[in-house]
Amino acid sequence: MDLFLHYLSLPYLLQGIWFTLAVTGLGLAGGLILGLILAGMQLSRFKILSIFARAYTVIFRGTPLILQMVFAYDALPHIGITLSAIGAAGLALAANEAPFIAEMLRAGVLGVDRGQIAAGQALGMPPGMLILRIIAPQALRDMVPALGNETVSALKNSSLASVISVQELTLRSTQLASSTFDFFSIFFASGLIYLGLTTTVSIVQLFVERSLDLDRAKRPSIWRNFLPWRLGEGSAPPTAGQSADAVDGNAVADPSAPATGRSNTTPRVDRAKRAATLESNDVAVEVKELRKSYANQPVLDGLDLTVRFGEVVALLGPSGSGKSTLLRCINHLENWESGSVRVAGRRLDVSDSGRALTPREIANERASVGVGMVFQHFNLFAHLTALENIAGPLRWIHSMSRQDAERRARMLLDRVGLSHRADALPRHMSGGQQQRVAIARALAPYPSVLLLDEPTSALDPELVSEVLDVIRQLAVEDGLTMIIATHQIRFADEVADRVAFLNGGSIIEQGPAHEVLTNPRHALTQRFLSIMEADKAPRRSA
Amino acid sequence: MHQRFLSKYRTWGSSSAWRSAAGLFAAIFFVGFWAPMSASAAPAGCAALQAKYPAWKGKTLVNAINPHTPGYEAIDPNDPTKYVGFDIDLGEQIGECLGFKVSYKAVTFSALLTTLASGQADIVISDIYATEERAKAADFIRYSKVFDGVLVAKGNPKKINGINLSMCGAAAAENTGYVEVPLIQALVEQCKAAGKPEPTIQLYDNNANCIQAILAGRADTYVNDVNTVDQAVKANPDALEKAIAVTIPYSVGIAVPKDKPEFRDAVLAAMVEIHKSGIQAELLKKWGLDPNNLEEPSILSVK
Repeated sequence: MDLFLHYLSLPYLLQGIWFTLAVTGLGLAGGLILGLILAGMQLSRFKILSIFARAYTVIFRGTPLILQMVFAYDALPHIGITLSAIGAAGLALAANEAPFIAEMLRAGVLGVDRGQIAAGQALGMPPGMLILRIIAPQALRDMVPALGNETVSALKNSSLASVISVQELTLRSTQLASSTFDFFSIFFASGLIYLGLTTTVSIVQLFVERSLDLDRAKRPSIWRNFLPWRLGEGSAPPTAGQSADAVDGNAVADPSAPATGRSNTTPRVDRAKRAATLESNDVAVEVKELRKSYANQPVLDGLDLTVRFGEVVALLGPSGSGKSTLLRCINHLENWESGSVRVAGRRLDVSDSGRALTPREIANERASVGVGMVFQHFNLFAHLTALENIAGPLRWIHSMSRQDAERRARMLLDRVGLSHRADALPRHMSGGQQQRVAIARALAPYPSVLLLDEPTSALDPELVSEVLDVIRQLAVEDGLTMIIATHQIRFADEVADRVAFLNGGSIIEQGPAHEVLTNPRHALTQRFLSIMEADKAPRRSA
Repeated sequence: MHQRFLSKYRTWGSSSAWRSAAGLFAAIFFVGFWAPMSASAAPAGCAALQAKYPAWKGKTLVNAINPHTPGYEAIDPNDPTKYVGFDIDLGEQIGECLGFKVSYKAVTFSALLTTLASGQADIVISDIYATEERAKAADFIRYSKVFDGVLVAKGNPKKINGINLSMCGAAAAENTGYVEVPLIQALVEQCKAAGKPEPTIQLYDNNANCIQAILAGRADTYVNDVNTVDQAVKANPDALEKAIAVTIPYSVGIAVPKDKPEFRDAVLAAMVEIHKSGIQAELLKKWGLDPNNLEEPSILSVK
């Protein structure tokens, strides 16, 4: 026991910890960098990169670390690369850890809901911002346990560096045992030191997990502000141009659009008058001859659609008729084969000179043109509160100051009746509440057009009305330009100026909402409407 | 530490070294008080050698060692940051003579020559036996005879009396890359021919593990440098004993890179000075090694 304590406190052994940590640190840091590159290559669009990454993984995951260490130490000098022993051990460990870390990263990234990425794109986030603000925070959170495991494993694997003369714990223990013959006391002592190190890693891991646990983090701890995706978020004072007054507003609808009440009780004459006014408004969205197919199956078949500022258009039609695809094309979340889409006179696919835009340029165009999008499955950013879902994109994409963004977000939450849920996470809200936050998020940057893709289809029946009420209010009070894909016939009748009936990727009938819905001319429209008849039955809450 | 390794390999053959094991052991414990041998004046001829071979003067050369052989090269139990032993002192003496300082790199025995060949070390003085086979990887300056001891459990239950038919059916613990390995392997055929069971070999990567194999009852014998064996017995007098000492037909050598003949010649010249001046004999005495180990320095170099 005395000997054990003697060796446990022997400076020679304790100093060996430094070498163990140095090799582990180099291995993990290098492995993280290499792993990031590998994961990037594997997720890349370019096949040659992913093939290279796979070959690397096969080699370095498939050979023993001890061989890799000897190789880095003894073989590299023959080609002129002479690393120090610690350097060689660190390199070998990094090369060995990289494929494992890359797999964790890849799983973490793929684990982030695709819908959130689409929502980020729709808001105008360029790829880099999507990774930093949306993917990384969620992926890393999921990866912490695996990273903890990997750290412990790297720490233990660093003992193999003893074969290439790194003076780490294991080498020092064996040398000491050879010279003193106190075999067991020494190895129990070094075993306990290893246990101390790995236990520390486990404690750090638990601490990090707790800190990142969204359900616990009521008060953000100070160090969270140093996380990479939070750096650089200044809390600049509000600028003159973004004062409360300016923020207060609503959508950029044409001021001539009637801002007063319109409901299903609106007299016909008003509707006719409104239709005439809209007729004279500028074109907000112009879709011409749009064609797109999935695997030779046409989804959009030469579709034409013109929507004027202030107009509310409902897209009706059976599932698979192309409603969602049309909306996604308008926002350029999808590519198409031929035809053109202009929003407020601008194209989102090619530059003025006819060059195809990069994903980054498309994102910037989306943000500056202002196309908001509301998705069937809400697609709120799961790691952000309701308030941050709205305020975050305003700061990141539109460089709004922290105060202004928060003020705008709170104002919008108030409008959709959710001020009391500002600090709630999406998973703690009902579907209806989530969709209302999503609508507020889409409205926040003052879009010129709002696209709603079956906004109530994923909701329980009793939650549908709260969302429809919000949308109705936007149409009536704000005169917002909206294109709504929906199955709610009755709602379309109340809110839309015009309905367009899609079938097989083109519009087979369109016209003033009430007219088409009550007196369809096309046989397919008639059949569809009669099937949906049940929905037209009066419902008290709608 | 390099030196220790070398001497391990060498000492297989020389029986006189065993007698001095106790002295060696004592030396290890008192080494802290001893001034390094290099403090004693370098032989007179060294000044001329430094003039003739100026390339290494003022440099620090890396000596690769396998520091698991107390008496030759091991860490100092009183100050584990230092390496001590006959080979260590010898390396310091050569450095003193040629004007260079020595730093150490601890590797496994089987990695000694690889480390040298890759340029990670400049010289290997670690009780390594200079064999023709090894001389394909490095040039050697031979300087000591080899005496081995046969370590067995107390009472020698298998009645082993050398690297001979008495080892048939026994399990021998050995260090990876040691010259004793092929000697024991050669017994396989002999045992078969005699109608006896074959010996088996367990390979470990250091001295301590080989000794533990006998203590744990996994191995019956461990053949190595006689001083190493004596020290193991001294550390575990109730569990171990030395069955016998044997000579093996090798010399211990200092390994230097094959592509540096000038350095090889300089080290040989320095060894000749150290040998002539009696410093080598003095070192053997200091570490309790058998004076019969002394051998005229010579070069082993094969194409």
